[in-house]
Amino acid sequence: MSAVAAQAIPQTRRWWTTRRRGHAIALLFVIPALVNFAVFRYLPILAAIRSSLWQYSLLGGYGQFIGLQAYIRMLQDPIFWKSLQVTVAYVVTKVPAQIALSMGLALFLARENRFAAVVRSAIFAPVVSSIVVVSVIWGLMYHVQLGLINSIITSVGLPRIAFISNPDLALAAIVIMMVWKEIGFSMIILMAGLKGIPDMFYEAARIDGASGWQQFLGITLPLLRRVLMFVVVTQTIFSFQVFVPVYTMTHGGPLDATKVIVYYIYQNGFLFQDMGYAAAMSTLTLAILLVVSAVQMRLLRSEVEY
Amino acid sequence: MLKRAVLVERVPVPGATSFTRWLQSAMQQTWFYALGAVVLVIYVTPFLWMILGSLRREVEIFQYTYPLTVRTFVPVEWSLKNFLDVLGISPEGKSFGLNFGRALLNTTLVSAGVVASSLVFNTMGAYFFARLDFPRKGFLFLFVIATMLIPFEAVMVPLYIVVRSLHLQDSYWALILPWYASPFVIFALVQFFGEIPKELDEAAIIDGASHFGVLRHVIVPNAVPGLVTTALLEFQFIWNLFYWPLIAVGSKDLQTIQVAIAQQTTQTQVYWGRIFAGSVLASVPVIVLFLLMQRYYVKGVVMSGLKG
Repeated sequence: MSAVAAQAIPQTRRWWTTRRRGHAIALLFVIPALVNFAVFRYLPILAAIRSSLWQYSLLGGYGQFIGLQAYIRMLQDPIFWKSLQVTVAYVVTKVPAQIALSMGLALFLARENRFAAVVRSAIFAPVVSSIVVVSVIWGLMYHVQLGLINSIITSVGLPRIAFISNPDLALAAIVIMMVWKEIGFSMIILMAGLKGIPDMFYEAARIDGASGWQQFLGITLPLLRRVLMFVVVTQTIFSFQVFVPVYTMTHGGPLDATKVIVYYIYQNGFLFQDMGYAAAMSTLTLAILLVVSAVQMRLLRSEVEY
Repeated sequence: MLKRAVLVERVPVPGATSFTRWLQSAMQQTWFYALGAVVLVIYVTPFLWMILGSLRREVEIFQYTYPLTVRTFVPVEWSLKNFLDVLGISPEGKSFGLNFGRALLNTTLVSAGVVASSLVFNTMGAYFFARLDFPRKGFLFLFVIATMLIPFEAVMVPLYIVVRSLHLQDSYWALILPWYASPFVIFALVQFFGEIPKELDEAAIIDGASHFGVLRHVIVPNAVPGLVTTALLEFQFIWNLFYWPLIAVGSKDLQTIQVAIAQQTTQTQVYWGRIFAGSVLASVPVIVLFLLMQRYYVKGVVMSGLKG
């Protein structure tokens, strides 16, 4: 209607055109989602920065401006450095182990066979189970006196192992459990990647007499590079934020051996009632992870040309 | 892979008799089944131990741990006591104030609320990005996609500060509102909607349908597999959420099942039977759902994975 009207009086420029009306209606479709992202995803970042620069407590709200004091305190806090170190140790052991094993399993199970399908479902079951359930059950399995794993170990004549209460083993125990839990996720993605490699490459290699290992190095790995990089990026970022197994199994102990950064943030915010300090550490973690993902995205993009 | 295996056999191997070829493939088969069985045992045992452990009395669990026999797993005397305890039906469960039934109900309500609102708002948002005309739409899409980069667990404390300043903490709202829209779901749905031919929309518009009519009568009926996939992933995500419900909600009446289970381990005495029973209640629904709808799950993971 308004289009007709606009044509009738071409001199007057109308702001409210049909086109604009269409845009307004279109915007109604997306506004609820945009509001959600603004309030619950972007605003927390600003809140983190603000409550790290001003004095902040849950009950008292915002107080005096304290500048970078919280950040300076962080740099001088040995437990903060320790937690960063523990987190990095967790990531650099868990991610490569998980990806190597899921690559092996993906190659091994990518066949149309009923048994392979059953094994695939079994591997994927922990991915859909909650991490609370998995870490609680594994916590009991690791138990030094009553755990299933020690029952198995002693049945073959080996001595008992205190997985959780030994500071040298606790983090490794969590790594093993988390690899077990999350392998199915990366396996499925790698398997989809494997399906995308045309069979003719392998045929050609086989006619040339390439062995299975040569085919893997020469065809599978280079062609899977993009998918592999993607899995590495996402798993690095996920793993950096590990929290639940530490909360349920070790509470950061023994001797801070499993005190990962997100657990230390939780402790400061909710157990020591020091929200401002927790917010400062959240801001830093956020910054670290944004840099890591930006760098990895850049790498990923350059690999596409390959 | 199957095709590849067939091709191997077609390529003539010089000097190989049919017997050596048979022997080779038989050995490969044996290896495959043996290794597969080992993997299967590693994956099934913890679940089996949990389910069977929940069906026996606690004394019995400890009594038969050593030595490792069939009895380590299979109950001598089957019992539902652990379930009656955690559900607060037995007098002992009541005296501990255990009420996992309530926790399950809370989790169900929150999951249903999030999945329902996510189906509405993410579908609308994805329809906007897939079909509607808007200036600088690409910029808005970037605004959505960039939220995927925000590390999830690392912003839980700041999210709590925001939710608290909105006075939403300690309510069902706190558990539902932050998740009613999801960048991952919007991203996946835009891909699914893109596969529906645009001619269908145009035909409907010529017939006088509004945008909402197109969405309801053209897009939604044609995107059912995509909607099921995203709803499943969303359900599993919310059902299993732990850190957020742990901090967002303090009162016991609003506790979710994951928080209720985790609390059982923080006490000085750990009640194994109750932990087993609670874990069964919390994980069996999602695992059964996954086994029934596996195809959609796998598709969803691959979709969010490969195209992300």
